[in-house]
Amino acid sequence: MLRPYLLTSGRVDASLEIEAQVVATEQGRASYHHLTFERRDIVVLCHAAMSVAEVAARLQYQIGVARVLIADLAASGDVLIRRPDAAPALDVAMIERVIRALEAIR
Amino acid sequence: MHWKPSGSPPPAPVKIVIAGGFGVGKTTAVGAISEIAPLRTDSAMTSLAATVDSRAGVPDKTTTTVALDFGCITIDETLRLYLFGTPGQDRFGFMWDDIAVGALGALVIVDTRRMADSYPAVDYFEHIGLPYVVGINLFHGVAAPDPGQVRWALTIADDVPVIAFDARDRYSVRDALVVVLRHTRARAINGVQRN
Repeated sequence: MLRPYLLTSGRVDASLEIEAQVVATEQGRASYHHLTFERRDIVVLCHAAMSVAEVAARLQYQIGVARVLIADLAASGDVLIRRPDAAPALDVAMIERVIRALEAIR
Repeated sequence: MHWKPSGSPPPAPVKIVIAGGFGVGKTTAVGAISEIAPLRTDSAMTSLAATVDSRAGVPDKTTTTVALDFGCITIDETLRLYLFGTPGQDRFGFMWDDIAVGALGALVIVDTRRMADSYPAVDYFEHIGLPYVVGINLFHGVAAPDPGQVRWALTIADDVPVIAFDARDRYSVRDALVVVLRHTRARAINGVQRN
């Protein structure tokens, strides 16, 4: 078994939120074949935006590993990250949008 | 460097925490309403794991992993709601911060036969000041208990909503989440201070 942190050269980046959205950029999609296989898998998977947690689950990486790989890909411009807004629990207008959307579920 | 996303910009993520003891119905509730089949991923005790990895040959007993269940609901093109289930066991409380920081609120699912299993979640949300609602799961077909008794048993404040719901039922879960959000909204409007 490959120890998970070998994939990330032992680096740990705990700052990326598990719900942060990840989507491949045009650069990433054009050049993903130059990437190492685990990074390539992320770029291919994220042709549509999905969360860090979802990337980890679908590729069977631990969350911490997915975080580091995604942070690397963002630094190289191969993916774009959309992090959550600060203090969403105080954003009344946004909370009301979510309530209305849930109430519309049929 | 010039680059742009391959499609429309990614939606802003928001999240609600689904908490409670082991086997109380968290995964069932997430699955009842999520657009995607509930996913499960492993989170490690990252800081410890990294330390251990730097010492080759040390048995990796501290690289304990813990499963994290989640699902999601598209609100609109610019907003996506995630539901994250906390790991059932107390000893995995170390990763609750990952799940709870930045959340809109929490639903603490209670099985009235095992009320004590809910204490860690209630304590934790009180401690970090996250708005939460207690949801009594009727999953087991027991008669709806008196919410007042549950409130008393959990020693929670009068302003914390206590509801009964069915974790298997999509609309019941939806309604429970709406109660959580209304509670969060009320706290935001009233300017309740967070710790």
